[in-house]
Amino acid sequence: MADNGTLTIALKGRIDSGNAADIEKEIQDQLVSADVKSLILDAEDLEYISSAGLRVILRLRKKYPDLKIINVCSEVYEIFDMTGFTQMMKVEKAYKVVSVEGCEEIGRGANGTIYRVDKDNVVKVYNNADALEDIEHERQVARLALILGIPTAISYDVVKVGNSYGSVFEFLNAKSFAKILADEPDKFEWCVEEYVDMLKKIHSTEVPKGKLPSIKAEFVERAARLRGHLPDEYEDKLVKLINDVPEVDNMIHGDYHTKNLELQDDEVLLIDMDTLAVGHPIFELGSIFNAFSGFFEVDTNGIESFQGFSAETGHRFWRRTLELYLGTKNDEAIREVEDKARIVGYCRLLARSVKRGLNLEGQGKEEYEVWKQHLIELLDRTDTLTFEVQNDAGSDSPNELDIEATTDNLPKVLEFIDKHLEAAGCPIKTQMQIDVAAEEIFVNIAHYAYKPDKGMAKVRVEVGDDPLSVSITFIDHGVQYDPLAREDPDVTLSAEDRQIGGLGIFLVKNTMDDISYQYVNGSNILTLKKNL
Amino acid sequence: MLNINKNLEGEKLTIALEGRLDTVTAPELEAELKDSLEPVNELVLDMKDLEYISSAGLRVLLTAQKNMNQKGSMKLINVNETVMEIFDVTGFVDILTIA
Repeated sequence: MADNGTLTIALKGRIDSGNAADIEKEIQDQLVSADVKSLILDAEDLEYISSAGLRVILRLRKKYPDLKIINVCSEVYEIFDMTGFTQMMKVEKAYKVVSVEGCEEIGRGANGTIYRVDKDNVVKVYNNADALEDIEHERQVARLALILGIPTAISYDVVKVGNSYGSVFEFLNAKSFAKILADEPDKFEWCVEEYVDMLKKIHSTEVPKGKLPSIKAEFVERAARLRGHLPDEYEDKLVKLINDVPEVDNMIHGDYHTKNLELQDDEVLLIDMDTLAVGHPIFELGSIFNAFSGFFEVDTNGIESFQGFSAETGHRFWRRTLELYLGTKNDEAIREVEDKARIVGYCRLLARSVKRGLNLEGQGKEEYEVWKQHLIELLDRTDTLTFEVQNDAGSDSPNELDIEATTDNLPKVLEFIDKHLEAAGCPIKTQMQIDVAAEEIFVNIAHYAYKPDKGMAKVRVEVGDDPLSVSITFIDHGVQYDPLAREDPDVTLSAEDRQIGGLGIFLVKNTMDDISYQYVNGSNILTLKKNL
Repeated sequence: MLNINKNLEGEKLTIALEGRLDTVTAPELEAELKDSLEPVNELVLDMKDLEYISSAGLRVLLTAQKNMNQKGSMKLINVNETVMEIFDVTGFVDILTIA
């Protein structure tokens, strides 16, 4: 019974002046025979305790000052409460027992299954029977994340479910991003944008020291586990690359894939917080790579059964995530960071294979070989795992501008765009055409989107190569308006017959190479593209 | 930024535009024209130093053209290539008199 010096003794039935002395002796006997450092009294089957029984507990506490009473039913808890025991020592109420039999299963993750128990509540039942510590950990880190500004769901109770435990959450009428991607492929771009916005938000959140574990430490351990599996010089290089990644106090989710991001009404929520850590974002990118690609390199149908969308969608999502996260469409720049992410990803996958034991057969063996081969190739051409971190909050990254949509801000918007166009070597004439188009779109938003109020617009500039082109995206959350739907003016009419309106958007259509408009979840998204 | 330099000789008004004619600055030119066009039957817009024109600027030009058609003439001089391109795309080359 003694485990690292902790002894748990069960109290049963009624304890009163009639049997208190006997029970005390019984307990003393158990304490003598074991080297007990701390004592827990399990009151699950305790129905009643009188003052004689309470005195027994007081005497025990003298010897074991951190004595704890657990699983106390509410009647007995009342006695402990009235007598002041709850102030004096740790008295934990019994967990409410909940049955999930016949309840609808609404989700299944790596460490548990989520059931809807009634109209307002869901319970996440943990696979692991002694999950209490995990549950408490997840509740704690979720609370921390919420305080630090990350929108997440927090469990408000812990219950006992059969032999295991569960966390109770408010039922959210939410849809996971995985499901949105599977059901509504036209929302792809919106999903990636929200996904990357949240990712940047997480990575720009500084965590007070000591509150979350370091993800680097986990990878140092994983890399060490591969010793003997990689040729020594590669193993040495991997260990060095990971050791060289600086410790960072910013938040990492650790399992950031599209099932862990949910849309509830208009709010995006991050869930499954138990892997929260601090560290360099390359470790996050590594696990994202795995979730969309690495994990399914051999088992190519796996992503479909896990995320519900195709491998092709997964690849596109990963690629677009990198583009938006890094703020570039430059293939070379993206490939470089992808290489680093893959090294981290394969390291993790291989460490997992090794941990599971190498009596690998079939798929497991094939995966091990494929991942190892990739890792070796990547190590050959990579000398650092770090990359430029655009670590400013939200969308302050240099290719995005968040600005109040007013005509007064037009010069700032054009200045922002011109800065990027100049950097891309855009000819003056093209620059002017792009400015004219951008002005038209921005001023439209300023005039109409939030009328009569004011609101924000986001402007994003992306430069692509092959062919060299620039894309400018405008996003607002105002009334739905598709400027492309407007009829073109008749440009052959004389001045007298020409209408004043409609000219701007016509100009845009005729000077840009591509314009697209989407209205997704309350956002107008308009993208102009011009080949340079 | 837009600088508007006026020169009135009898019934002929020459306005030299310098800078940008966009959503922010177009109302300035519009107000200026409203105030000044009364005695004018010949309007010349010197575009030599105009770097930029957007649809807001085009709208002011269109209004001015309609106005001048009633009572005289309007002419644009020294239009640079990038601005000309915009006039081209929008069909303004056929509406405006560009010297």
